[in-house]
Amino acid sequence: MAKTSNDPAAKAEVLQGTLVLLVLRTLEALGPLHGYGIARRIEQISKDLLHLNQGTLYPALLRMEQERWITSEWGASENNRRAKFYSITCGGRKQLEIETQDWERMRATIDRFLGSLA
Amino acid sequence: MSRLSVFAARLRSLLLRDRAERQLDDELRFHLEMQIEDNIRRGMSPREARYDAMRSLGGIESMKEQYREGRGFATLEAFLRDIGYAARTLRRNPAFTAVAIATLALGIGVNAIVFTVTKAALFAGFPMVEGNDRILYISSGRGCCASYPDFEDWRAQSKSFTNMAIVHGSGRLITDKNGFAESYDATEVSADTFRLIGRGPLLGRDFNRPDEVPGAPPVAILSYGLWERRFGKDPAIVGRPIRMNGAAATVIGVMPQGFSFPQKQDLWVPLVPTPEVRKRDARDTWFVFGRLAPGATIASARAELEAIGRRLGDAYPLTNRGRNLIPYVQTFNEFFFFGNENTVYWSMWGAVGFVLLIACANLANLTLARAIGRSREISVRIALGAGRWRIVRQLLIESLMLSSAGAVLGGGIARWGVRAWEVADKGPGRSSWRVLDYSMDYRVLAYLIAISIATALLFGLAPARRLFRLDVNGTLKDGGHGASGGGRGRHLSSLLVGGEVALAVILLAGAGVMVRSFLKLYNADLGVNTANVLTMTINLPHAKYPKPEAQIEFYERLSKRLEAIPGVEGVALSRNVPTGGSAKSACEFSDNPSADAQSRPILSTLTVGEEYFRTMGAALLSGREFSNSDQAASNPVAVVNRAFAAQYWPGENPLGKRLRLYDGKTPELWRTVVGVAPDIAQNGPMRRDPVVYLPFRQHAAANLDVMARTRVPPATLAMAFRRAMQAMDSELPIFGPFTLDTRLEPNYWSKGLYGVLFLILAAIALLLASVGIYAVIAHSVSRRTHEIGIRIAIGGTAGDIRGMVLRQGMIPLGIGVTIGLIAALGVNRILKSLLVEVSPGDPVSLSIACGTLVLAAVLGCLIPARRAVRVDPVVALRHE
Repeated sequence: MAKTSNDPAAKAEVLQGTLVLLVLRTLEALGPLHGYGIARRIEQISKDLLHLNQGTLYPALLRMEQERWITSEWGASENNRRAKFYSITCGGRKQLEIETQDWERMRATIDRFLGSLA
Repeated sequence: MSRLSVFAARLRSLLLRDRAERQLDDELRFHLEMQIEDNIRRGMSPREARYDAMRSLGGIESMKEQYREGRGFATLEAFLRDIGYAARTLRRNPAFTAVAIATLALGIGVNAIVFTVTKAALFAGFPMVEGNDRILYISSGRGCCASYPDFEDWRAQSKSFTNMAIVHGSGRLITDKNGFAESYDATEVSADTFRLIGRGPLLGRDFNRPDEVPGAPPVAILSYGLWERRFGKDPAIVGRPIRMNGAAATVIGVMPQGFSFPQKQDLWVPLVPTPEVRKRDARDTWFVFGRLAPGATIASARAELEAIGRRLGDAYPLTNRGRNLIPYVQTFNEFFFFGNENTVYWSMWGAVGFVLLIACANLANLTLARAIGRSREISVRIALGAGRWRIVRQLLIESLMLSSAGAVLGGGIARWGVRAWEVADKGPGRSSWRVLDYSMDYRVLAYLIAISIATALLFGLAPARRLFRLDVNGTLKDGGHGASGGGRGRHLSSLLVGGEVALAVILLAGAGVMVRSFLKLYNADLGVNTANVLTMTINLPHAKYPKPEAQIEFYERLSKRLEAIPGVEGVALSRNVPTGGSAKSACEFSDNPSADAQSRPILSTLTVGEEYFRTMGAALLSGREFSNSDQAASNPVAVVNRAFAAQYWPGENPLGKRLRLYDGKTPELWRTVVGVAPDIAQNGPMRRDPVVYLPFRQHAAANLDVMARTRVPPATLAMAFRRAMQAMDSELPIFGPFTLDTRLEPNYWSKGLYGVLFLILAAIALLLASVGIYAVIAHSVSRRTHEIGIRIAIGGTAGDIRGMVLRQGMIPLGIGVTIGLIAALGVNRILKSLLVEVSPGDPVSLSIACGTLVLAAVLGCLIPARRAVRVDPVVALRHE
């Protein structure tokens, strides 16, 4: 139990790590969004490439909020329903930068690795 | 990464749990609605849309769970929720909850009682003594005692002890202003004894060095009890003059309530090292206590004292050399408890352990039955996404709640039980001289907590194990009964029943031999008529009655005076009451003289007055008893008992034979045997040792027991006896008057106490085991109602059904009894040293044990069997 909550990487490293990156990037680009909106957006952009298990989204949002990378606020949705809107914070932008760099470095490493084998 | 902010967020959500939960619901509902709308927009039917939305979100409940775990202190929060759930579940099943808690309270309660009692005997030290585990007893050799000079040398030379004290028990007679004397247990103590044990007086002052200088004015410190009983808690007691042993003394202090050292004591006086006391070889009843220095251990202290002892042996070869004079260090337990008493405590502990195991087996069965009954509920919860661990945790929390409730109740039972034990352990009269620490301290609390957790795990895990094998689909399809009730579950519960039956048999067998042994002892014929006898022990002080003539004269006058009291039939004098012991001396026979001291048998001797045997109701077998004519100057005579005659003169007539006793190495006069007495149990209720009886006038003693046979209830004459004594000599220390039965009680009370205790434990075990069998069979009958209905419908007779139900109970019963019997044969051997004329494998006790258990178990099966027979097939089948 404690493992999944404190160390999301243990279960599915890449996916979980990427999820944070995707969410932060989405919020940075689009401004405040509710959970469904974030899910839709991620799926739209990467439709055939990435299938998001929506069940993992909310625990991840909670965790990011606890880390103060994002904040949330209840507000009215586009069809005038009560929804929880998430927006990125300063800390979140910094985290996005770190995650992006990490991702770049990881991609470069993998590329190099694949290249050297070829 | 800020751990702190995560912590704060979690704390907030823990405190605002309901709100957080509502918000999560709102958020997820919003998500679902949005998805459904989108789906409809894409052309799905509403039903399809909803279904797709649910699926894309995954298992909502398990996601929520994951979310909750991320949100707060998952474990704590889940724990709180589980407790709430468990409390609701338990409240819904009041019968189960009550039975479970009562069973646990009983099991845990007896454990706490025995732990407290055992702790007092085996692990604790002197009660109300500072750092009592560091107070040790030191003696010359492994037995007892030390001499005053030994003590001084040990104290001066030893570095393992910060200090030592020496004490010496002796009676003290206190006379009040009306001249009414009463004797008390006093202990002479070296001046810094109380400082050594770290307890000062409640009132007044402690002893000081000047108090123990020879010639110092006599002073005394009273126990709280004596202050209360004798002086009515007089606040002005300090400084009050009293008459003690016929001399003036001053009370200088009162010790705190409950304090006594080293044994049950009425008062303490300074030990004055007179030249008489300072003899090196006077190793009488002197007890030395030392406080272990910081850093020293018992082993290092033992080694050091041994070295000191050897040096003393070289310095004083006449008095201190010898292997059995090497000083030895003992703990409180070693000092106060001997061989088989420790066995009693350990076996009691084992016995209550068994009781607790039986209780666990019962509860495991009950929870197992419930778990089977709850298969459907649990399957639903698993199907909804609850992890199996989560369910197991839930069940364990239920068990823990039950065992905690049991522990609380059990603690109450224990409080009461320890008090009852304390009263019982005091025994009659002054028979228990030990002071034990029966306080229920933090150790008892820790033990309670530990066993309740262990208990919860033991009985909670049995059903939990089943969960991992639970076939969720099968159970749900099946409607929650049928398949899941059978197979493994039934095997496990049979196993548990068999186990508890085996344990109960062991306990019953142990209790059986203990009780039978007690009955043998209690019913043993002592050889005298003990009814209607009043006794009084008199000790003539040497200073006042130095010569045998004076002693003889005193006792003759006393006998006449007592015989004159209305209701008194006759008065007999004896050195000791029956079973009270005897003196020992070497003996030589005229027809078989032994020049070699080694070959002379050591025999019991007892000084008795005239008409002793007639008064005690033990008519002589042949010859005559001592009479008025056996004066000091007349021909020396003796009476021997039957055991004596049979051993030393088999087939011969003992009358007229001659024997002489030795006082140390000096022979006394030759005595002619004038009578043969029946065997009287002089050295103990079960002993029939050879005894030589000597006439009181030819073998005077200062210390005698006066025994009067009465025509009226003996206790009613106590006051008259006291008055007679007062008229004779108002400052004589006397013990009594007590009835002979009271004097004999110490022979039985400890065995009786242990017997009753084991019997109580065995009864609890029997009750629990039969309730256990009943519960399992009853549960199985209720689950098989349908099947039984079918059997009856297709023509099964009442006998068939009854047989079927009984058979189900008899198999584990039979196996349990067999295993229990075999184990009992081994386990009872531990009790061997406690048994009197009963073998550990005593067939009578064992068959009674098995019989009782089988009877109770069959009864437990018959009740559900009757219910099974009465099943109405129509109702049973329609019920489905």
